Amino acid sequence: MFSKKMGRRKFIKGLSATLLGVATPTFLKGEGPLGKTEKTPNLEYRTLGKTGLKVTTVGMGVMNCSDPAVLLRAFDLGINFYDTADCYMGGRNEEMVGKVFQGKRDKVFIQTKVHDHDDKQMRQSVERSLRRLKTDYVDVLVWHDFHRPEEVSNEKFFEFMTKMKKEGKTRFTGFSSHSSMVSLLKEAAKTNFHDVALVSYNFTHSKNLKEAIASASKKGLGIVAMKTQSGGYKKGATGGLNPHQAALKYVLSDPNVAAAVPGVTSIEQIEECAAVMGTTISRNDLSQLREYQAFLKGRTCTLCGGCTGECPYGVPYHDYLRSMVYYEGYQNGTLARETLEGIRVSQVDGLCDRCPSCSITCLRGLDIKFQIKKAQEILIS
Amino acid sequence: MGEGEGGGGQGRVGPDLVPPLPFIPSHEGRGVSYGRLSRMLEKNSQTLSFKYLIGVSSFMLLWNSVAVGATALDSLLPRSLPQGWVLTEGPRSYNPRTLFERINGQAELYIKYGFQRSVFAAYQELKRPENQIELDLYDMGNVLQAFGVFSRFRTEDRPGGVGLDSDLGDSSLLFYKGRYFVMLYATEPDPQVIKEFGRAVSAKINDPSGPPREIGYFPTLSLKPGSIQYFSESLLGLGFLKRGFQAAYREDTEVKAEVERKTNDKGKTKAENKDKESHLFMAMFEDGEGARRALKTYRDYLTNKGKLDSKTPQGLGPQALSGEDPYKGKVLAVQRDSYLVGIAGFEKEDDAANRLLEFIKKMR
Repeated sequence: MFSKKMGRRKFIKGLSATLLGVATPTFLKGEGPLGKTEKTPNLEYRTLGKTGLKVTTVGMGVMNCSDPAVLLRAFDLGINFYDTADCYMGGRNEEMVGKVFQGKRDKVFIQTKVHDHDDKQMRQSVERSLRRLKTDYVDVLVWHDFHRPEEVSNEKFFEFMTKMKKEGKTRFTGFSSHSSMVSLLKEAAKTNFHDVALVSYNFTHSKNLKEAIASASKKGLGIVAMKTQSGGYKKGATGGLNPHQAALKYVLSDPNVAAAVPGVTSIEQIEECAAVMGTTISRNDLSQLREYQAFLKGRTCTLCGGCTGECPYGVPYHDYLRSMVYYEGYQNGTLARETLEGIRVSQVDGLCDRCPSCSITCLRGLDIKFQIKKAQEILIS
Repeated sequence: MGEGEGGGGQGRVGPDLVPPLPFIPSHEGRGVSYGRLSRMLEKNSQTLSFKYLIGVSSFMLLWNSVAVGATALDSLLPRSLPQGWVLTEGPRSYNPRTLFERINGQAELYIKYGFQRSVFAAYQELKRPENQIELDLYDMGNVLQAFGVFSRFRTEDRPGGVGLDSDLGDSSLLFYKGRYFVMLYATEPDPQVIKEFGRAVSAKINDPSGPPREIGYFPTLSLKPGSIQYFSESLLGLGFLKRGFQAAYREDTEVKAEVERKTNDKGKTKAENKDKESHLFMAMFEDGEGARRALKTYRDYLTNKGKLDSKTPQGLGPQALSGEDPYKGKVLAVQRDSYLVGIAGFEKEDDAANRLLEFIKKMR
């Protein structure tokens, strides 16, 4: 995967040192909660479009986090932008955010979401969110998960959001999207209804999306990137490189992105993400990152649903792919093995790499046969 | 890539195909070695009897793939509905690749808990169309994972008497039973109707699994009801602790009174301390070595970011860890077999140590 001229070790060393700030002393001294001196990140701020909010480029996607310690750590690191939603963990996620930031409300920006219902239900949802968050207002209220451009320019949504703003329940509004983002962003740039767009954006996305983000950003839309890591690999899987940081840095290297909200569940992860702030990226680094992208291509399943075809012998390839996501992406060997415990392994599974009848293909070029073989070697045999 | 085009690979079909491969179960359910099978195939693939075997085996394979774990999820949905209610949407099925279409980014949480598949259906009351109920039934693979997701969603102790444990609100019901986790949300508050739907689903689930046995390890004195949770990763928010259980304990009356006395003139501190909870936890590893490594990492973590005590309470052994976590407060932890068990955020060390010892005793 790596050119001979470059060499994998050299690539990793160079990228680690220059791009990720691993070897470069870029951190300032700071004090931890127990008064211990420790490294803190170089905070980097950008303006969130026309909202004018000065947000840290690394925010926090609170969605799957259930431990207040992680939020407190993020706060101590200086991160000021937090993304949650009314529906995450049935509201428990908002409750945790509210509890942690009680007394600190003026030091953080909180973004939450509302789903499309009738006016009464939407209002109830927003008011419930405010109660859980223990606040009178949120900074950004986002429509959850738009799919079609018509939704972006839907006046019903706009009117409701305008009311919420007028009533002081939210300062700014926006929408989120996981799919068809190019067309949605184009529409958003035209309508000028929204202040913020929360979009999936990572190193696997197309140039079209990058251009759509640029165009929307120029119109004043504050771009917040989510799903920034796209199923990275654990440390050392590529010989020492830390791909989570690389993936995050890649997104933040786009000046049209105001902030990223990587989903984190542990103190280690938020520290890792925060450390990306303040690092610079050179042309050479970008070139190296492209090589990294090429290196990852075909190695990691993102559960995107982009595989086509079925195995004529019924090999449960989805389960094999998922188990490798658990094993390599989430570093959870137990869950990976448990995933495969539930399936009946037959002899055909082991012969996938030699089977000429295979019609299964991956949108992202993942070598599915190789993944199955690897899962069997690591997790079954 | 999200805006890209599909790969569009086409399957090759033709007379040069190798014959379908046979399914030969072994006594362990894992089959014979692949190499051996491959050699066997090469040797015999031209014989008629083998072709016959192939045909039969292929049928067995297909049948097997349908039969194993193949309870059709929509068969678990209620058939006879409460009077005046009708099915308005679904049933729609989802798998790990498509779950994002139903619940967006939240799918990641389910996937981390071993999500297999799910089914969604929506119902409506004919007389009052604004009354709607959405039902999602998730197959989480096993009872531990089903409990795990349930424990992350339940907001407080509001048992509804459905499944192995449940959380019943005015307009929601969550429960788990066997390998299934079920969520019901109503647009209008009506606990009785939502419970009726839940019971109908629960009655159809024939999984005999009991609750995860680890739940029984937690001492009940001062245990905050409904607080036992199973995390598939990052227990206590610490990546190195990986998966495990935790539960919240209320400080006992004596401790509360003491705290209140000390902070009598500081209303805010008093309020905070009244909510003081400690957390008993059990991190689970593949073997004792994994648990030992985690204990060492925890020790290093406290040395660097918290405080490590030189002494440990009696009864926990010299290898136990005692210190102060920067975000959790006082911590005691000890390795037992493939587990790392501990307690964090307590006020009185003796009480905490006793609670921990009681937990360890129950583990045996």
